[in-house]
Amino acid sequence: MNLFDHEFRRRTDLLWLLTKKEVTLKYKRTFLGILWSLLNPILLAIVLFIAFKVFMRIKMENYTFFFLSALFPWNWFSASVTMSTGALVWNVNLIKRIRFPRHFLVLSTVLGQFVNFIFALPIVIGFSYYYGGGPGMNWLITIPILIIIQFIATIGICLVISMVNAYFRDMEYIVGVVITLLFWMTPIVYPLKMVPEAYRFYLAINPLTYLITAWRDLFMSNYIDWGSIGISSGSSLIFVLLGIIVFKRLGKRLDEVL
Amino acid sequence: MSDIVQVQDVWKKFPMRRDRPGFKEFLVNLPKYVSGNSKPSFWAIKGLSLRVKRGECLGIIGKNGAGKSTLLSLILGTIYPTKGNIEVSQRITPLLELGAGFHPDLTGRENILINGVLLGLTRNEVAERMEEIVAFSEIGQFIDMPVRTYSSGMYLRLAFSVAINTDPRLLLIDDILAVGDQTFQKKSKDALLQLIKEGVTTIFVSHNLNAIREICHRAVWLDGGEIKAEEEPEKVVQEYLTRYMA
Repeated sequence: MNLFDHEFRRRTDLLWLLTKKEVTLKYKRTFLGILWSLLNPILLAIVLFIAFKVFMRIKMENYTFFFLSALFPWNWFSASVTMSTGALVWNVNLIKRIRFPRHFLVLSTVLGQFVNFIFALPIVIGFSYYYGGGPGMNWLITIPILIIIQFIATIGICLVISMVNAYFRDMEYIVGVVITLLFWMTPIVYPLKMVPEAYRFYLAINPLTYLITAWRDLFMSNYIDWGSIGISSGSSLIFVLLGIIVFKRLGKRLDEVL
Repeated sequence: MSDIVQVQDVWKKFPMRRDRPGFKEFLVNLPKYVSGNSKPSFWAIKGLSLRVKRGECLGIIGKNGAGKSTLLSLILGTIYPTKGNIEVSQRITPLLELGAGFHPDLTGRENILINGVLLGLTRNEVAERMEEIVAFSEIGQFIDMPVRTYSSGMYLRLAFSVAINTDPRLLLIDDILAVGDQTFQKKSKDALLQLIKEGVTTIFVSHNLNAIREICHRAVWLDGGEIKAEEEPEKVVQEYLTRYMA
């Protein structure tokens, strides 16, 4: 094995192990373990179903499915971003004592949350059968595309946030508030057309609107919204470029602030 | 003989902050931040140059705060020089703070795997050495328990065993010859000496002057971030002793 292959192999191994650590540690001292990743979205779906069907009696058709089809991708994003505030700060020991690619800490955070998203997909499929004909062929092409787009965009944002939080710990609290704001500024709970024309601009400038819409269109109507996918992939490239630049720049003096 | 480590005129500055600046302070000082100067700072390393040849064991001595650990971190690459250039042409195995990468909730074996990969091996390579590492650490049946249940001695022994068995090429050692009980101390010291004898390049920071005299081929005396003396270990230690013991 030559040196390059060896290093490549080692890096994939490292990323794999860090991600595995991310996933397993969360459930390490629980009885059900990784099963929680599957159980969580199921229980969430049941709770929401009861809330919307029994208590709130929302008039919209298939509202639970409508909500969940956007909520699961959103959760992957928001949990990654929230966790990324600690990706560097909580790993001071590793960063200061061992030399390894630091961005792996951010990558493994996003990958760890991605696992939860994967576990939520069976529920989406279940709902899809319950309310319609089940997943179509379009899912096979579009799910990987959307996953890649969302992964790239999330990585970019998480790179920035994890690094900035090392310099400016207030970031953690700012992120908490901004995530909530963003949740309500993205058509997750409500459909885009429910928003008055005058305010749609604010949703239109939010890149997440397009990504979430693309997910929902796919899950609910087996429709590939190429327009939204195009805009999302464009913005994800911008985010990841920004992320790499900020991470590299500020990373040079990381040791002084940790 | 080729140089494994080249340190060329390296300077390292640390900002001296009483604490994190509050928001008000941040606003008041904003013009200064933007212009990028007038922050109080401390030069830990001042224009230091150093070369380490292949197979050499370099000892570094000096008072607390002389810059020894900073120098090791700079060579390791976990901190960057403010000015100057550092080139290292080998994989580094740090023996600085043992068990830095351990996670308390993971078992001994799981920690061995992650640390082995962090230190430069692939997963397969660690797996091949797993039994060797476990045997060396003398952890026994506890190897499949979370390391949070370990005594501090067991923890250090495990950390040392991983590091020493990762096929080191360049060792950075920060005064850790005292790992575990008497028996393990001897064993770990012997293992390190064996590696150094076999020609593993080593940079050895220690307050144990006898160890420096015994093990090292060359010694450096650091003081205030500068090299005060660089010679045979015997002479450097003598100079150091006359300066501080007189």
